[in-house]
Amino acid sequence: MSLLRVENLVKSFGGVHAIQDLSFEIPEGVVYSVIGPNGAGKTTLFNLISGVYTPSSGEILLAGENTRGLAPHQLARRGMSRTFQNLQICMNMSAVENVMVGSHLRLDSSFFKAMLRLPSITRGDRACREQAEELMEFAGVGHYIGSEADAMPYGALKRLEIARALASEPKILFLDEPAAGLNGTETAEIDQLIQKVAQSGVTVVLVEHDMKLVMNISQHLLVLDYGKKLAEGSPDQIRCNPDVIAAYLGAA
Amino acid sequence: MSHIKHLLKTPRYGGLLALVLICLLLPLLLQNAYQFDVAIKVGISAVVVVGLNLLIGYTGQISLGHAGFFGLGAYSSAILTVNYEWSALAALLAGSVGVGLIAFVLARPILKLKGHYLAMATLGLGIIISIVIATEDWLTGGPDGMGVGPFMLFDYEIYGEKAWYWVVAALLVLSVWLALNIIDSPVGRALRAVHGSEVAAQVAGIDTTHYKVLVFVFSAVIASVMGSVFAHYSGFVTPTEAGFFHSIELVTMVVLGGMASTYGGILGALILVLLPQLLSGLEDLEMIIFGLILMLTMIFMPKGLLPTVTGRLKGGKA
Repeated sequence: MSLLRVENLVKSFGGVHAIQDLSFEIPEGVVYSVIGPNGAGKTTLFNLISGVYTPSSGEILLAGENTRGLAPHQLARRGMSRTFQNLQICMNMSAVENVMVGSHLRLDSSFFKAMLRLPSITRGDRACREQAEELMEFAGVGHYIGSEADAMPYGALKRLEIARALASEPKILFLDEPAAGLNGTETAEIDQLIQKVAQSGVTVVLVEHDMKLVMNISQHLLVLDYGKKLAEGSPDQIRCNPDVIAAYLGAA
Repeated sequence: MSHIKHLLKTPRYGGLLALVLICLLLPLLLQNAYQFDVAIKVGISAVVVVGLNLLIGYTGQISLGHAGFFGLGAYSSAILTVNYEWSALAALLAGSVGVGLIAFVLARPILKLKGHYLAMATLGLGIIISIVIATEDWLTGGPDGMGVGPFMLFDYEIYGEKAWYWVVAALLVLSVWLALNIIDSPVGRALRAVHGSEVAAQVAGIDTTHYKVLVFVFSAVIASVMGSVFAHYSGFVTPTEAGFFHSIELVTMVVLGGMASTYGGILGALILVLLPQLLSGLEDLEMIIFGLILMLTMIFMPKGLLPTVTGRLKGGKA
């Protein structure tokens, strides 16, 4: 069974059809990439899947369960996690606290217990801080453990966001342009990080413009254009697909 | 030993210890009933501001109507003890439960709004409460206000400035302790994440509406309790307590002292309660001066007084 299944998905904003009758499946344990020209609907698709937007019609099934009507925090509980194209880091918090936010679901977050600082809260906090520090090491931002988020450079924040997304221990992780704005070295490091994440058993879904990165790490690609599926297949199949070449380079 | 030193540097232990010491030593400096009176008024506002700072400073949700909850608490105590002869403690508890319920019911629709819209909605809420209090004079005495009896706790009467000083000081320490506990917990991180990036908080599994409602109710209940305390302490309540200017005053305390700084809020309360005392004779200019303080703070130290000063002392950016 596929981990994520999208059936006849449609999303319109007023008269604009951002996603039109889109169906695809993401099997468990792969790195799956969604590519397409600017405005093709990639980020809209992510927002639909993660519950930020509500579909106009169509179904999204996560591990066989229909996600219709579920809010983002409820989807997180079901094993979904994501990052954002334009970083969503809490600049009012430290780096570690940002990652700790990611493990909210697994902590005792009762208001009254927190108010009285009962032992279950302190115990949970200690474990969660340790895990957050480990995740920061894993994501290659270990030397920012003592930093405030607003003191970190852009490239490090990109990886901090991935660390936070992993803190909820997701089954499926959506990365919206993880390499955007990064230089060659940083992109190579992100490439390695994504592979490490995939090896740890998390299904990774990627929206990315950096073709070298995409072709290198994905097992499967979905090409969108004007909100429609243009092609689907392995990197080699996509590379030779005449429709894809036309969409990217203009028809000959 | 170094462990203890480290603990004392944290806001929870070091700051709380300093606050307790200040509260204990301050009476040695206060010379007369008037000075005690000012200290008590600082304390009452400070507790409300500690709660309001959780909502405004930490969670990033503005409220221009919290004096309404303060007024509801004050009038619940006044009406229930005077007209219905309830005990003061029962009236205080009933008032805070009532305010908690009202805040809970209103929070969901109100907190769906953002920015200016949220400000307008809470502003309206506060104004409605103060109008109801001012017009229902069969119950509230109308614009003239109403007298309130002393606070009898079982057989003991809290009487005189000194006794009230200790009550308010204890409530202040308690509220700071509770607030610091909340801030440094999964709940507090959820609240700050709502401020930092609501969508990031949501995808991290945080039910942001739930937390916004919780903190709104919590801060409203604190305001209500302090309204009750104020009613018994001053012995008289008027609709002004629930009014728009009082709400603005409370928000100014948060902003001036320091958004997302619990101790900063106390400093803000201290300054803004002392200021009118120092400017006595210039009552007409009070609101203009408050407005100026608010504007200047926003422009020159948007983080507020205490965070700016401690930032400078640490040599980091303010």
